[in-house]
Amino acid sequence: MKEIKVENRREGNILSRVFDELNEFCRARSLFILHYCTGCGAIELPPVMTSRFDMERLGVQPMVTPRQADILLITGYVSIKTLKRVMLTYEQMGSPKYVIGICSCTVNGGMYWQSYATAKKLDEYMPVDLYIAGCMPRPEAIISGLRSLIRNIELGESNNWKKYYENYDYYLGNQQKLFGDEWQTPVDVIGEAEHYGLVGEGTYGEHTEILQRVQQPLKPLEMRL
Amino acid sequence: MNLSQFEAWLADIDHRIAGVEVTASNLNKRRNRVDLPADKLVLFLEAVKGEASFVHLSAISCVDWIDDGEFELVYHLWSYELNQLISAHIRVSRDPGEYQSIYDLYRPAGFFERDIHEMYGLYFHGAPDMEKFILTEWNGIPPMRKEFDSEEFVEQNFSWQEYNPEWLKELVAEGGGVVIPCEEQRFSRSVATDHGIDQQHSNWSGCDVSSKLCRIDSKYRGGD
Ligand code: SF4
Repeated sequence: MKEIKVENRREGNILSRVFDELNEFCRARSLFILHYCTGCGAIELPPVMTSRFDMERLGVQPMVTPRQADILLITGYVSIKTLKRVMLTYEQMGSPKYVIGICSCTVNGGMYWQSYATAKKLDEYMPVDLYIAGCMPRPEAIISGLRSLIRNIELGESNNWKKYYENYDYYLGNQQKLFGDEWQTPVDVIGEAEHYGLVGEGTYGEHTEILQRVQQPLKPLEMRL
Repeated sequence: MNLSQFEAWLADIDHRIAGVEVTASNLNKRRNRVDLPADKLVLFLEAVKGEASFVHLSAISCVDWIDDGEFELVYHLWSYELNQLISAHIRVSRDPGEYQSIYDLYRPAGFFERDIHEMYGLYFHGAPDMEKFILTEWNGIPPMRKEFDSEEFVEQNFSWQEYNPEWLKELVAEGGGVVIPCEEQRFSRSVATDHGIDQQHSNWSGCDVSSKLCRIDSKYRGGD
């Protein structure tokens, strides 16, 4: 007898499940990629976006602001200086958000493994949903990666963004190792975690203690003409 | 000044500025190498800019000769009238590592000198700005100095993960792929020391997906 594959859906209240599924169905069909590129892998994105491979048929399109974007594409090596900006961007994005690491450089440093200036493992600094390895991956691979992401979202399996809240101490620790103990971002991640009920075992720790000790209250920027 | 006048002028320059040594490149007629003592550089540049129309300083490069205890500075000058390049080579001591700025003669030198100061720690007196330039996050020793061991720095400050998916092993077993034996690699990395927490964080399904994608990728690469 032929086995019928049953997809693993989430359990729970039937009604909420219907809404969740509807939610995820819609979410998976309208993904905005933040227009921000690092490294050289970005060169494969124009063909992905334009008519040859046309990612818009999957409902994926570029977006100019992190506040309205769903996907953060890291398209190659990330220098320490860029990583700071990437972290600021990532924290500004609204949840649920997805990170795709394109290129070998985001997996383990790639050909820059021995450089003092680039971060090696992207997943030490933010949770990564998907890697598309290659130096650099072809548009076909990127499209295929986007399709896997869409599938994962539909099945409700792409929840890595929650890890950032649940293990904030770990990520913050790695950031502090590179940027120094004074490192702070305008986003109050701990506050958000508490607000949305995403506090996990790793939310607090020695590194968040350092943060709370050195944290300066944010001041509004001076407005001047 | 035309080209033949310039050649005569350059051949004569060592009579006017002591210690200047001119070597014309026999590969490329447009290149002139000039070696001179460090204290004669400004004199030389003034002459070359004022009399021979070398108004463009395209770069200053630096070489660290750690065994000689010296930095070599190379000033690349271009003339739009003669279409000639002069590279003026000087040597300055590595310790204490200071020299004078030529910002007053050539404005772009400000950037080059700031860059060299950042990468080699060579200080230029009279430069407009010797602050951090590109490596704003860097607090260690200047990374282009020969005594800085980039590999060791990476070992100490970053962790690493092996990327050796199954499909790659299959390819290698079939005789495909490029395998460079350890002793032929210029840098060989010792086996990554994964901390417990890294393991925990890198074990999600994403890795699996990526290996599949890579297979797709390599297929397309092979196909075209
Ligand atoms: S993996 Fe290759 S193409 Fe991609 S960023 Fe690194 S060096 Fe560039």
